[in-house]
Amino acid sequence: FQGYLDHEQFNQLEELQDDANPNFVEEVVTLYYRDSARLVHSIEQALEKSPIDFNKLDSYMHQFRGSSSSIGAKKVKAECSLFREYCRAGNGEGCMRTFQQVKKEYTALRKKLETFFQLARQAGPVDRARRPK
Amino acid sequence: MNLVLRFQTRPLSIGRSSAFITSSEQQPTTPQQFKGLKIVLADDDNVNRTVTKKLLEKLGCEVTAVASGFECLSTLSSENSVRVVILDLQMPEMDGFEVASRIRKFRSRNWPFIIALTASAEDNIWERCLQLGMNGVIRKPVLLQGMAEELRRVLQVAG
Repeated sequence: FQGYLDHEQFNQLEELQDDANPNFVEEVVTLYYRDSARLVHSIEQALEKSPIDFNKLDSYMHQFRGSSSSIGAKKVKAECSLFREYCRAGNGEGCMRTFQQVKKEYTALRKKLETFFQLARQAGPVDRARRPK
Repeated sequence: MNLVLRFQTRPLSIGRSSAFITSSEQQPTTPQQFKGLKIVLADDDNVNRTVTKKLLEKLGCEVTAVASGFECLSTLSSENSVRVVILDLQMPEMDGFEVASRIRKFRSRNWPFIIALTASAEDNIWERCLQLGMNGVIRKPVLLQGMAEELRRVLQVAG
């Protein structure tokens, strides 16, 4: 997870997990991917329109950035910030390019998290402390 | 013939394992220190709302979580023992500023307490919030420690 996750933030999620909610982290991450899939789709559609509605794009990206930062998705969040700068500058090309990066980071993180949860399920709660890097 | 079975035991990392979290380890805050504190949380983002709600519950609060300014106002009108409202400032339709103005119009300055949640780094956010009668501001993403400190600070004002 080197560089992909903000460990303080992700730790926070792990600390919220307890006997009453033993799968809290996985639930939140699943919720994130579900909600953000919708946003990704909306952003893609908005980027295809002509002329581009930068305000709308910025608003979608604000949401995306917000929930990404809640789960500690550091790289995704950084690309989102960059995207918003292009939005504010009204730079459609820049937006499209950056969005490819956003999707790349987002997908890469998803794969890492899926592996993490698979391992966690196999190992049981005691080994959760050892996170694959 | 002797059969020797060797078991490899892995060390228990009790301190880090979520199932055995002790409040002394990473959180200087005592769990349950805000026991029974009634809170309304308004945040339109599902992920943020879920995480913040759990965080508050970890602190012992009783949380009603809503997804819009409208729902927030209607919850408050039907439940008058709500002590604190935690509001995301950037919500579509009705933002946190609007919600706070409306709350303050009909109620006293300190009931309920209003704490804003914002991802914004602007300097004048605190001022704007104060002017509207809000009592606190928390920067997103929210951490347990930050939330506990701000809650403590806001509640202490009343004595």
